[in-house]
Amino acid sequence: MSSRHAPRAGGPAPREPVVARSGVAPETSRFHLGGPGCWTMGPLSRETWAQRLGAFRASPSAFMAGPEGEDLGRDLLNELRSEKLSEQTKVSLLALSLEYPAQLWPDAAAAEAAATSLLDTLVLLPPRPSALRRPLLLAATTALAAGDALGPTSGASRRLLPLLLGLASGRDLGRGFGPASEQRPLQATACECLRELESCKPGLLGGCLGLLRSLLGQEGPVQPLSLLLALALRNTLVIQARARAGLQGLLVAGDMPAAGGPWNWTLAEEADAHLQPQAPSWPAAEEEECGLAVLEPSPEEARELRAAVAQLLDTSYLLTPVAQAQLLWLLGWALRGLRGQPPVLFKPQLVRLLGTAQLTLLHAVLALKAAFGEALFTAQDEALLLRRLTLAAQHPALPLPAHLFYLHCLLNFPENCPLGPTGEETAPLLLGPRLCRGLLPSLLHDPSALLAHLHLLCLLCAEDEEKEEKGQDWCPRHYLGELLAGLRQRAALHGGPRALATLCFQASYLVVHCLATQPTVLTPLTHGLARLYRARPALAPHFVDLLDRVGPELGEPLRTALRQEVVSRPGRDEALRWHLQILSKVADGKAPSATLGFLRAAAAHCTDWGLQQALLQVCRALLRAGVGEGLADLLQALARQLEDPDGRDRARLYYILLAHLAGPKLGVALGPSLAAPALTSSLVAENQGFAAVLMVQEAPAPMRLSVGPRRAAGPVPVLQLQVEVLEPLYSVELRFRVEGQLYAPLGAVHVPCLLPGRPCRPLHLPLQPRRPAPAQLAVRALFATPAGLTCHAHLPPLPVNFADLFLPFPRAPDGDKQGFFEELWDSCLPEGAESRLWCPLGPQGLEALVARHLDPFVVVAQPPTSYHVAIRLPPASRLLLRLEAAQGDGVPVALRTDDWAVLPLAGDYLRGLSAAV
Amino acid sequence: MAQRAVWLISHEPGTPLCGTVRFSRRYPTVEKRARVFNGTSYVPIPEDGPFLKALLFELRLLDDDKDFVESRDSCSHINKTSVYGLLVGGGELWPVVAFLKNNMIYACVPLVEQTLSPRPPLISISGISQSFELLFGIQDFLHLGQKNDTELNTKLNQLPDLLLQACPFGTLLDANLQNSLDSINFASVTHPQKQPAWKVGTYKGKPQVSISITEKVKSMQYDKQDIADTWQVVGAVTCKCDLEGIMPNVTISLSLPTNGSPLQDILVHPCVTSLDSAILTSSSIDAMDDSAFSGPYKFPFTPPLESFNLCYYTSQVPVPPILGFYQMKEEEIQVKITVNLKLHESVKNNFEFCEARIPFYNRGPITHVEYKVSFGQLEVFREKSLLIWIIGQKFPKSMEISLSGTVTFGAKSHEKQPFDEICIGGTAYLKLHFKILDYTLTGCYADQHSVQVFASGKPKINTHRKLISSDYYIWNSKAPAPITYGSLLLVRCHN
Repeated sequence: MSSRHAPRAGGPAPREPVVARSGVAPETSRFHLGGPGCWTMGPLSRETWAQRLGAFRASPSAFMAGPEGEDLGRDLLNELRSEKLSEQTKVSLLALSLEYPAQLWPDAAAAEAAATSLLDTLVLLPPRPSALRRPLLLAATTALAAGDALGPTSGASRRLLPLLLGLASGRDLGRGFGPASEQRPLQATACECLRELESCKPGLLGGCLGLLRSLLGQEGPVQPLSLLLALALRNTLVIQARARAGLQGLLVAGDMPAAGGPWNWTLAEEADAHLQPQAPSWPAAEEEECGLAVLEPSPEEARELRAAVAQLLDTSYLLTPVAQAQLLWLLGWALRGLRGQPPVLFKPQLVRLLGTAQLTLLHAVLALKAAFGEALFTAQDEALLLRRLTLAAQHPALPLPAHLFYLHCLLNFPENCPLGPTGEETAPLLLGPRLCRGLLPSLLHDPSALLAHLHLLCLLCAEDEEKEEKGQDWCPRHYLGELLAGLRQRAALHGGPRALATLCFQASYLVVHCLATQPTVLTPLTHGLARLYRARPALAPHFVDLLDRVGPELGEPLRTALRQEVVSRPGRDEALRWHLQILSKVADGKAPSATLGFLRAAAAHCTDWGLQQALLQVCRALLRAGVGEGLADLLQALARQLEDPDGRDRARLYYILLAHLAGPKLGVALGPSLAAPALTSSLVAENQGFAAVLMVQEAPAPMRLSVGPRRAAGPVPVLQLQVEVLEPLYSVELRFRVEGQLYAPLGAVHVPCLLPGRPCRPLHLPLQPRRPAPAQLAVRALFATPAGLTCHAHLPPLPVNFADLFLPFPRAPDGDKQGFFEELWDSCLPEGAESRLWCPLGPQGLEALVARHLDPFVVVAQPPTSYHVAIRLPPASRLLLRLEAAQGDGVPVALRTDDWAVLPLAGDYLRGLSAAV
Repeated sequence: MAQRAVWLISHEPGTPLCGTVRFSRRYPTVEKRARVFNGTSYVPIPEDGPFLKALLFELRLLDDDKDFVESRDSCSHINKTSVYGLLVGGGELWPVVAFLKNNMIYACVPLVEQTLSPRPPLISISGISQSFELLFGIQDFLHLGQKNDTELNTKLNQLPDLLLQACPFGTLLDANLQNSLDSINFASVTHPQKQPAWKVGTYKGKPQVSISITEKVKSMQYDKQDIADTWQVVGAVTCKCDLEGIMPNVTISLSLPTNGSPLQDILVHPCVTSLDSAILTSSSIDAMDDSAFSGPYKFPFTPPLESFNLCYYTSQVPVPPILGFYQMKEEEIQVKITVNLKLHESVKNNFEFCEARIPFYNRGPITHVEYKVSFGQLEVFREKSLLIWIIGQKFPKSMEISLSGTVTFGAKSHEKQPFDEICIGGTAYLKLHFKILDYTLTGCYADQHSVQVFASGKPKINTHRKLISSDYYIWNSKAPAPITYGSLLLVRCHN
């Protein structure tokens, strides 16, 4: 047993690092390495770790959910300092942390602590050679970058960045960093770490461009420095271009940040949260998408930039081919948006690159082609590139995946003057039939190779359409026909693998997709497919799939051909279930008597439930297609003769539907084709289908309802409702329910028809309040859709405001408005209530406020200073207001009502008036 | 341009899962960028188990293709490259670069630095070609000189350390993994200035240069009026330069005899520093004429330490080395065969080996053979339904040999006899296997005196040549045979 479960001496592990550190190498460390006082558990043996790592790798999620999951990250960090484990085991622990930091340290704080611990382990290594330094640097970098901990506030970042930059620049970091022999590999590793950090946080190294240039010019390792400089340069240009700033001497500033001094995060923060695509803007993507505004450097800056790029390109032959390719992508992208930076710098590299067979290099050349077009590739260059690409796509010395990728590149070739529609695969203009000869499909090809080459052939046939047999010595269409015939012959092979059948149908689909307008191709294809069905009806699922996916150009004639193929057979074929599957797909209103004849003959042989269901499925298709005559007889016969009661029930159901529903309703009722019934009762399955049609079903709200302007008149308050619909609705019924029984039940509102975009007059909803109080109305809508379904929907509740209930008093006798008002005023007391309050006025003043909100209720007015207002509140309350002696920002209001419950509502209303515009 | 993850999966048909993940490596910092770049279309890298299942399903390597499955078999599910979309965890993981080679599936997922919906064309994804290079690199490493499973396992165990060197953060630094292995071993050497990244150390010892030219000849012969026979030579020039100094310069010239066939479609190693435009443009796409560039073909380069392929070429020789016909007629449970082979007089009649394999597909085991050969011996592999005609080291003086006979078959049992989707009914072929040392069909050779080396000491120069057959088919002329477009075209042009 391992000692993992030994009691912990030091209690739960502290989450925070034990010692706060700064600088590269701490002079002191209070970390305990093993021993009885340590909070780690006893060290695990090599075997235990191997087992544990194995279990973790088998399924990280399962392991982390298990009992050991929680401790793994912490144990791993501790064990790195154990003196009992071999370096090799520790390397494998670090390898795990390189792959699964998110599982080991799931949040930024844990990642920061882990990076700190890894850095501590690094600086505490004894000065002899060690295999751990490199993976420790990689692990600390990974923990910070993947754990979202990289940033100016992270202590680990503030330690790691200067350390990496110091290593990368070959500075002597003291004996702590191992013997001299390790410096060179560590220098390269530090560059890689910096590059990864720069990739995750663009602009991080914007302040180090000058330094990197000078390192590259000295004895630094060429490849890591070149790639680092190219990436930092590209990112800086992008960020500065977006900020519409220049390079500001970044290319020449040579000093490195002072040790322990602050890191310059300015550019990284400017770019924050905007990782930029590295891909050069392919012709399809527009400049804005890449965020690369055109940058115009000063002549001085342009010269420095050119020098930097030339410096990188001149030594690029020292890089491995894949690294050269990266360099070209980065520099191509960097220079693309720059005015006054002719891409001619790349020219000397091109001839060398075009000769190689290296996939990444040729791909990078294509990227340059896409980025610079004619500015870098003359028409002659373009032709040469195309020839080399064509050659690479068929060169026998290259592997198939490379051929297929090159073929893809050919069909997406970034031409100088593209003619065709963008975004679609086309054969480039210069790629004539002669060039394509070696690229045509053959039955000996693998499936994906055959489809790729077939696509090219189809494109050539499409082009060839215009030339139409002008005595040419080659006829691609003829070859295409023979190829398809060969594919069908293989697909027809009984017992052959499904892949062959799939390939045949994929090829047919591709041909139809490209050559839908060419009857000379489609007619033989249709006949060939019908013959294929005759030879191997078991391919029915493929036929159904093909019919679902092709347009009418092939779909229509193929349906007819297949229907004829099936119905011309006697009904007792062993392939009956396939015939029925096909027929349920292709049966339509045409030639129903032959179809019905076949079904009648087949019925006797439908002995099991599955076959009966398949048969009824065809009947269903005929029902939907509106076939009536003859079908009723068949259904009746089936309802009597089928052995399975479920089948009989379903036949009877169809018969009843046919007898009772009119054609269009029947079509809707049966809805889109029922999938093969998965339940043992087809009736239940069918019912699920009709439930949709014959019952009311819930739908999302298809309309928007709102309360329009008030209409204070008449005996009761009436809400004016405004309706907008998103789709045509018929027989609309709106039902309202008042929450809390504040009003009498509300009647429904009916509208015969609502159409989108056509204004509808407002709907009137009379309210009968039982108490003068605001309320919420729950609203439901019932309606019919154009498809004939009846639906109901819940609409958002409608608010009824206090003011919506206001009604004016019947007109006062002409002469004595004042008297009328005073009478009402006096009548409120003693049962009622009285109050005084302050009604704030907005900038518009009292007159405007009254005109806007209270006009219908004013009994006596002495504009602009005094208004007497009388409001009737159904069912039997009154509210009287005196607004007098308005001041600059408000008006005192005297208020009386005969219903004390109204008082707080009135107060709220008045106080809210100035805000309500 | 970076990789999110890479896998090696051994394909094990017949086992419950049909495969095992032998190696996998994920790159979390790249994954983090993928999440940002892909936005709502981001699909995380699954764990090994679900990935294995989804990949084998998509590649049709599960043993369950009995039923039509729409997500795999639909006619619109068209794959024209080695790049796939896998349904995992409710999303579609794309692009997954994957291919099967020698029962090992190589797979990786490159970072796409934009949204994945709509899918951008592969050509615009910088990581795609890097994926291929990484997988090709691993494949080369695993299969270079590997002889058995133990060696494969040893190499698989080395992979984690190698990728830590060659691809520490998911961005590939060197596709040549052997180079990374050497760099681990060379780690203590202090590197001089301007050391190329593709050369981890320097050679110390006797200078020598080895050049070996291997030509493979393939052919499709039909013996029919309306279909032209085709043949092609594919050459590879392999070099190993043991020379002192950091950057020694070497120039190798390939020459042809006066009647030699011009080299075409030349692809060179990236270490070649410059190329004559005549070499760059000499192509099999163009019609051949007398003006074709016929060398000498000069390749100046700075060699890496290890053995490498300096260049590949193709060539169209005027006649195939061995011309033959094969006639096979079915008569109930037996077939009658007649084979005739003729070595062209210009070809060196001194083989390391030469044999004709005559397989019978989609039939039962061979129960009885009656035959007559004019030369060599016939071996019968009854269970495999295969005849091998061993011709040996030399053709007879007449240069022409023949075989005729009758083969009887037993009842077909599906497990043992091979299925073939091409050889249905009378469609059948025989395949020639031969090797001739110190000979090339084009006549191409590297003259010792034409090798220029700019390095200290005069190196010893070794040159080797050989011709081997590859895909050398002779189809039954009494039944339909699969043809390529070239076969149709040539006949029409000649008529």
